[in-house]
Amino acid sequence: MSVSDDIRRWSDELARSPASMVFLPLGEALRTRGQIDVALRVALRGLERHPYDADAHDLLARIYVDRGETERALDEWDAAIRCTPGHAGALKGMGFVCFNQGRIVDAERYLAEAAAASPEDDGLGMALLRVREQIANANTTSAPEPEPESEPEPAPAANGNGHGSTNGNGATTNDVRAESTFAERDAHFGDPRLLFADLIGVADQAALLLDEDGLVMAGQYVVSDGMDVGAEVGAALSGISDEARRAMRHLPLGDWRTIIFETAAATVVMTPAPQDGLVLVAAAPEVPSGLVRRALESVSQRAKRWMEQLS
Amino acid sequence: MSSSSPFIPSLEHLTRQRGVLGSLVVSETDGIVIDAVVQPSVKAPVVAALAASLYRRARQSAHAAGLGGVKYLELVADGGRLCMAGRDDLVVVLVTDTRVGVGLLRVELLRTAAELPE
Repeated sequence: MSVSDDIRRWSDELARSPASMVFLPLGEALRTRGQIDVALRVALRGLERHPYDADAHDLLARIYVDRGETERALDEWDAAIRCTPGHAGALKGMGFVCFNQGRIVDAERYLAEAAAASPEDDGLGMALLRVREQIANANTTSAPEPEPESEPEPAPAANGNGHGSTNGNGATTNDVRAESTFAERDAHFGDPRLLFADLIGVADQAALLLDEDGLVMAGQYVVSDGMDVGAEVGAALSGISDEARRAMRHLPLGDWRTIIFETAAATVVMTPAPQDGLVLVAAAPEVPSGLVRRALESVSQRAKRWMEQLS
Repeated sequence: MSSSSPFIPSLEHLTRQRGVLGSLVVSETDGIVIDAVVQPSVKAPVVAALAASLYRRARQSAHAAGLGGVKYLELVADGGRLCMAGRDDLVVVLVTDTRVGVGLLRVELLRTAAELPE
């Protein structure tokens, strides 16, 4: 049974029984498909009927993260933990957000609590292990130099993912460097937004997998203010592939394989994905275009494997 | 095509590059050929219409996505490439086979587009 069938079935069930808990898988399925606004409505309605359900707060929090509303997400996870102390999903989510904000020590605390609450989650354990490695590395490199009067290193410049470069926990460049591998760790969380993060580790790059309607299936496009504009960019750019397909029907050049375009703000490369989807990699103009094209190959291969696993 | 066109020397230069089957200056709005230097196998009016449509769509989409104006567009297909660079309503289009050295061509194309009249 496809996800669409599930969504239809759950929607019908919810229409028949508005108090049903089926809004939880329904909201999650809609969120995963990129139908964020619909997912939000479903989650809010569910919460009206089940205000003390921790899973409902957890669902709403993840939707808020997708919308770039991090503070609201943290509030919801906080509510989830108040409803169900030690709620693994909420703790994991808070760990995720803290790490994304460079609060690596807080991230470690939340992930440790989540791992304790959900010991069967191997991915979580691995993520925790690697966060701890990052902390150890940061401590090693930030150890005092022999020169007692030396000033601390200046904070590194903010990267293209819009995350702050320093924080109140004494974080160093390692924390920023950690962000490039954060997605790899979080892939173990099953978060499709981070599917490509380790492949496009260079700052100022983004990768998206879009379905045939231009909806984001995986990846994210985070701009300088920290907002994920993947949905907007994906919807706007997916039309180019339709135009290319149309052009190729009339030109003796065969099927199109890649489209590259350069603007003042970005270099964008895209290639077809299975099921009429589209894989897209964008990078700041200063990133060498050859590097962007190469990133597309690895992103495309991973997208293909991921979609095979989905189906 | 008029041999006195100011575009012809640039187009001839581009078409002499290895792997280039033709070069055209087209109107993005109308998709019509302003000037072209192409091999007989290239149907200039068809290429112009499709390339202009693709470039226009890319420009609109990039604008909608907040990425600014498109200055270079390249479509890679199994049998060759379409490379485009525009200025205002004019777009320089190259049709190439698979042997083309795209790095050099991109530079030449951007230079030619920059020299187009405003």
